[in-house]
Amino acid sequence: MTHPIDRRRLLTAAVLGGAGVVGATAFGSLAPEAAFAADDLTAQAGLADPNFAEGRITGITGGVLAVTGSDNVLHRIRVTDATSIWKLRPTTLDRVAVGDGLYARGARLGDGTLAADAVWVNIVNLHAHIRAIGRNVLSLDHRGQPIVAHVVPGVTAASYNGTPAVADLSLLRVGRHVQVLGAWHPDSNEIDIATVYAAAN
Amino acid sequence: MVLWVAALQPLLIGAVLLYSSAVKLAPRRSRPPTSGTALARLVGERRAAWALRLLGVVELTLGAALVLPPVLPVEAVAATALMLGFLGYLGYARAVVPDSSCGCMSTRRSPVTWRSFARGGLLLGAAVLAVPAATSWLDAVGTRPAAGTGLLLVEAAAVIAFSAELDTWWLLPLRRLRVRLSHPLARTSRLTGPPLDSSVDQVQHSAAYRSVAYLLRSDVVEHWDEDDWRILVYSARYGGRATTAVFAVPRLRYEPQAVRVALVDDQTGAPVDPPDPSKLDHNTLSNSTFHEGTLADLTLRSGPLGDASLNDAPLSGAGAGRTGPGAVNVG
Repeated sequence: MTHPIDRRRLLTAAVLGGAGVVGATAFGSLAPEAAFAADDLTAQAGLADPNFAEGRITGITGGVLAVTGSDNVLHRIRVTDATSIWKLRPTTLDRVAVGDGLYARGARLGDGTLAADAVWVNIVNLHAHIRAIGRNVLSLDHRGQPIVAHVVPGVTAASYNGTPAVADLSLLRVGRHVQVLGAWHPDSNEIDIATVYAAAN
Repeated sequence: MVLWVAALQPLLIGAVLLYSSAVKLAPRRSRPPTSGTALARLVGERRAAWALRLLGVVELTLGAALVLPPVLPVEAVAATALMLGFLGYLGYARAVVPDSSCGCMSTRRSPVTWRSFARGGLLLGAAVLAVPAATSWLDAVGTRPAAGTGLLLVEAAAVIAFSAELDTWWLLPLRRLRVRLSHPLARTSRLTGPPLDSSVDQVQHSAAYRSVAYLLRSDVVEHWDEDDWRILVYSARYGGRATTAVFAVPRLRYEPQAVRVALVDDQTGAPVDPPDPSKLDHNTLSNSTFHEGTLADLTLRSGPLGDASLNDAPLSGAGAGRTGPGAVNVG
């Protein structure tokens, strides 16, 4: 992997112009059949999807996460530079900690390790009511249980009436129903809000 | 003085019992009033509804006896016993079924907290105080109307304040008013630029995304801003080779048709032409995107994140917008 700044420059140039375009046929056929040929459908009806894992992280060694699933199945998940890691925002492996929960999707290798394409750490998806609004915090009622939902300036966004997200949270109202996508603080009733979906009128 | 205060207590306890019995005896709504309560655990799910009605009848009888003349010490003694029973029930609920609803004064789900115990304690104190009462509350209010009304109002306010079920009467309107006067999150829009979520939304509604969606393997790997553009990077696989999909999104305007995409080979660093979407067979495409689905299918499972109830699957509608290629409807 090249230096991150050089890589970013390269990728920016590729998408915004300035770099020579190599003919795709240099890499083989462009026919869709060729593109799909490598991806056989491996999931079997009625069985667990082998390319998916979920659970709590019990150890991190190099780029491999040891994960205990909620059904007590042990997973080894390999994270590479190409793996997307979400923990409230797109982030890197050094921000992931033992004790975090995760969902991972990728391809199962021969030795049973899951080579992850995407990992979502501590992600939660809640339907709740707003009990109170404070400075950078929403107090939520989730099926009678209180949830403390922190607003993270610069990250937390709101989507009103299904429109694209905005940073403005001032249309949230006490007593209203919301759906919240966020990152859980492990072993607590607190979350950081990524996006809050609400009705506004 | 003590006897005067004692004489007022039957009205407070009676009114609370009458209100509580009305909730329990009201015509059944869609949800059984016993669902999620510790009562269902105590006497069994099938008998809980009858037990609750029976309790409602007891409350109605005792409440009416307390409020209406004549004044009998046995009424206050019965109320004391009932309040002791309520406190014992709350203790049982808290110890055995901590997540259960109180089911005391509302069908609204309200967990047993310190407020429930405070209300129970207050009413128990009032019931004990009422035992020596010899005159009717009507006479007591008649002798000192202002003081009597004031005392009863304070006591009623305390009962309401300790009743989580009644928060919608006063606490929520107060909080709404406070937010209307000065919204604590009013400054959020001024502090930051457009959120990443908005850019992801633009990408997912763009023709550029539709042309390469089936190649994408990951969620957003990284992103940065470049002048008027926001660059989003995804991992992709094309023709069996690891590639990087780079999207350029207008940063300050919502214009999905302006989104650009480039595929870059990870090994050589050379750009790769994305395939022409018009040549793709839609059936093949939809199968593939389903296979590569990310959150769309993973959230159909129960959440692993400690408390499974923290996750309300499935992620659908607006919520799916945040996620990867699985949520996309191509064609």
